Amino acid sequence: MKMNEELWLVVAIAAVWAVLAAVYAFVPSLGMPGYVRVWGGGAVLFLVLAWVLAAVGRKAHRG
Amino acid sequence: MDTISTNVTPVGAPSRLTARVTALPTPDKALLKLLFGAALLALVLGLAGGFVTALARARALSLFPDDAYRILTLHGVSVFFYWLYLIQAALLLVLAAAENGRGLALRPLAWLGAALMLAGFGFSEWVSTTGTPLLYDGSPELAADDPRSVGFFALGYLLLSGGLVASAASGIATVLQPRLRGEADAFTSIGFALFAWAGFLVVSAIAATNAFLPGVLWALGAGPFPADHGTEWHILFHNLHYLPLMATVLVWYVLTEHLTGVTSIHGARMSKIVFAAYLVFVPPTSLYHMFLEPNLSEGVRVVGSLLSLFVSVPTLAAFAIIVSSLEASARARGATGLFGWMRGLPWDNPAMANMGWAVVNMMVGITFAFVLIQEKLAPMLSDTFFVPGYFHFFAVGVLTQTFLAALMVILPALGGGTLWRPTVLRRMPVLVTVGLLVFGAAGIAAGFMGVPRRVFDVSYGGMAPAAWPVLMALVGVGATVFAVAISVTVYGVVRSLLSRCAPVAVEAPVVDWRAGARGVGAAPAWTGPASVAALVAAMYVFTIVAFQLIQSLPIIAIGGGHGH
Repeated sequence: MKMNEELWLVVAIAAVWAVLAAVYAFVPSLGMPGYVRVWGGGAVLFLVLAWVLAAVGRKAHRG
Repeated sequence: MDTISTNVTPVGAPSRLTARVTALPTPDKALLKLLFGAALLALVLGLAGGFVTALARARALSLFPDDAYRILTLHGVSVFFYWLYLIQAALLLVLAAAENGRGLALRPLAWLGAALMLAGFGFSEWVSTTGTPLLYDGSPELAADDPRSVGFFALGYLLLSGGLVASAASGIATVLQPRLRGEADAFTSIGFALFAWAGFLVVSAIAATNAFLPGVLWALGAGPFPADHGTEWHILFHNLHYLPLMATVLVWYVLTEHLTGVTSIHGARMSKIVFAAYLVFVPPTSLYHMFLEPNLSEGVRVVGSLLSLFVSVPTLAAFAIIVSSLEASARARGATGLFGWMRGLPWDNPAMANMGWAVVNMMVGITFAFVLIQEKLAPMLSDTFFVPGYFHFFAVGVLTQTFLAALMVILPALGGGTLWRPTVLRRMPVLVTVGLLVFGAAGIAAGFMGVPRRVFDVSYGGMAPAAWPVLMALVGVGATVFAVAISVTVYGVVRSLLSRCAPVAVEAPVVDWRAGARGVGAAPAWTGPASVAALVAAMYVFTIVAFQLIQSLPIIAIGGGHGH
């Protein structure tokens, strides 16, 4: 598996977490603001990790 | 039938894992020994607390209520948090360092993480011993008049969380090193799993902060009483269902390669997808924790029920990959018989025995986990002894035995000499499983009959059903058996850690599957898929049994939002 495929797996994780955070944020009847914080925080974290993977890939490619 | 290339290390080849662990820099070895030692101390404290708790539930010991809850708190805090998370941090770091081949990156951050986690360990044990016993979920409602206990208890978990973040950052930086050096253009399957697992550790630290920071702020007079603690705890607890299981499966991957020389026949891509699936399935499956809310809408219940079916998909997929890879490799080398191919596995090695019996415990535990999360059964069972009855299959049978198996391989390579009495240690997993089966069968039956959890005197002035004390006595018997067997294993591992013998050269105990090489895939390998099918059938059977048993009881229960 090449870099891009690993990158997209991490992006897919971030996307699912972001969607769930949005569901909890925009469906008031669920009434779970903690889920928004945790799933939203997780989505941001995995986006950061995806960026790290991309940056490392670029650096290795240049090297 | 087409065949594919085999993935078995040649007999006599040195183990990549142990060779790399042995070659780690001295500061890394010192850090890892510290973390492994602290994790084992937490396990010993938790074992002692759990053993006393089980004896008290069996009425073999009589404790004052405060003492009983204090011991139950120490048991839960020590095992569920500090054993499981110290050992995960240590395993993440050692496996990442082995993957890198040159030790840890961001070493000061790894040491900072260890210091924070050990400080948290000290705080949590101290306040659990001297303060109001809050049980392992640290519910502020139990100490509304004692903010000091709530604050220090929450601070302990926050320090643990901070330490996990620092350790995870070091782990991530470490697995990226081979790519930064230009030695690799992609992760190995283990490298990717470590990368994802480290991210998951950070998310769990976010969830812990979300749950416990309000308690600290309230204790400092800087925030309102954390009335929503139960809900926030559920979010953390949901993450904590998956995190150690992901670690367990990762350790199975590593140990399978180390003990048998077999890697996945399905390729690294499939393994990476399975490890990513753990993280993909975490948020959507969280809805089932809300089944205990009496006002939950019917639509959310239906969606939650459907999504809960995905809970075990990654674990079962990883299990099927490992088993089918082993079976196909064995059959390619002449192994025969429906289960006869397993005879070639290195069962004399205690690590293999621990891992094998951990799989058996996982199958039993998953079966009853699915019974518990049924939308109609969750409210009736979540506050009963059904919960400790089934989850000890996971906590002890799967997680603890797997992590101890990893220690049996890693500690001698760290320079601790040879493993203490392997012939004794390899027999312990059977005893652990027998004890768990007695404990689990009695506990689950007691749960079906309504025996409450976290209540030490269930005699109710002689009004309780006659079967209750009998079942709780069996719980005590089972707990004694598995506690003694785990204690022997822990003793052996600690002896290996403390041994001052010179390290011995370790060769990978590769299985003897050389004869009659036909190529992997020439003979079908059905054990993995067949086991999953049998598991699904068992889930159906026990769910039907649970419904019938509960409908036969003259009670109706509505859950109160308890944290199971």
